[in-house]
Amino acid sequence: MAQRALPQSKEALLKSYNKRLKDDVKSLLDNFSEIIKLARVEEETQVSRMTQCEEDHFEMLVRASNIVRAGESLMKLVTDLKQYLILNDFPSANEAISQTARSMLAMQQESDRKLMALRDDLAADLYDLEEEYYSSPFK
Amino acid sequence: MANSSMPIERLQALDNVEKEIASCIQSAGQALTELSKDKASMKQVESHTSQFLKTLNHVEGELSKHINYLTQVSTGQPHEGSAYGSVKMYKTARHRLEHTRSRLQDLENLKNRALASTVRPASAQNNP
Repeated sequence: MAQRALPQSKEALLKSYNKRLKDDVKSLLDNFSEIIKLARVEEETQVSRMTQCEEDHFEMLVRASNIVRAGESLMKLVTDLKQYLILNDFPSANEAISQTARSMLAMQQESDRKLMALRDDLAADLYDLEEEYYSSPFK
Repeated sequence: MANSSMPIERLQALDNVEKEIASCIQSAGQALTELSKDKASMKQVESHTSQFLKTLNHVEGELSKHINYLTQVSTGQPHEGSAYGSVKMYKTARHRLEHTRSRLQDLENLKNRALASTVRPASAQNNP
C-alpha cells in the first residue's frame, strides 16, 4: 500500500499552491521595483515630457493595481491553505478528536460520580424514613 | 517541523500571515507616498522599503513552511475519525441526570402536597 504516494489531484493541488505563492511574491516585488524605477526623471527624447509623464502615470496605476491584485491573490491562497489544513491535516484532526473525547469522558465521569454520591445520600436518608414509616401507625 | 501542534495554532499562524500580507502592502504604499512628496526623506523611503521586503520574505517563508507540512501529512483520503462515541456517552449521562432531577421534583411535589394536606385540617380545627 503506497501511503506516501499522494493522489495525483492532491499533489497537483499542492504544487499549484507553491506556484501561486512564487508567482504572487514575484509579482509584488517586480511591480514595486518597476514603480520605483519609473520615479527617475529622464531627458526628453522622442516624446514630449507631458506625454512621457502621462505614460508613466498610467504605468504606475497599472503596476499599483497589479500589486493589490497579487496581495489579494495571496490572501485567497491563505484561505485555501486554511481550508486544506482543516480537511487534511490528520495529526491536528486526530489531536482535536482525542481532546474532545477526553473532555466528554471526563464530564460524563464527573456527572456519574456526583449522581452516585447523591444515590448514597438518598439511600442513607431512605433508611431513616423507612424506619420511621414502618414504626408508625400509618403503614 | 513541529508535527503535533494544536490545530488552532496552525490556523492562528495563518491568520498572522494574512495580517502580515496587509502590512506588507501598507509598507509598500507608505514607501511610494514618501517618495512622491516634494521633499522626500530618503531615510523614511528606505526604511519602509526594507520593512516591505522583510515582511514579504517572512510571508513567503511561512507559507512555504505550511505547504511543505501539508505535503508531508496529507494522504488524500478523507478523515473518518469522530468523537461520536464519547459524545453519546456524555449525552446519556445528561439523560440520567435529567431523569433523576425529574424524579426528585416529583418527590418534592408529593412532599408539598402532603404538607399542605396536613396544614389544612389543622387550620380547619383552629377556625370552626
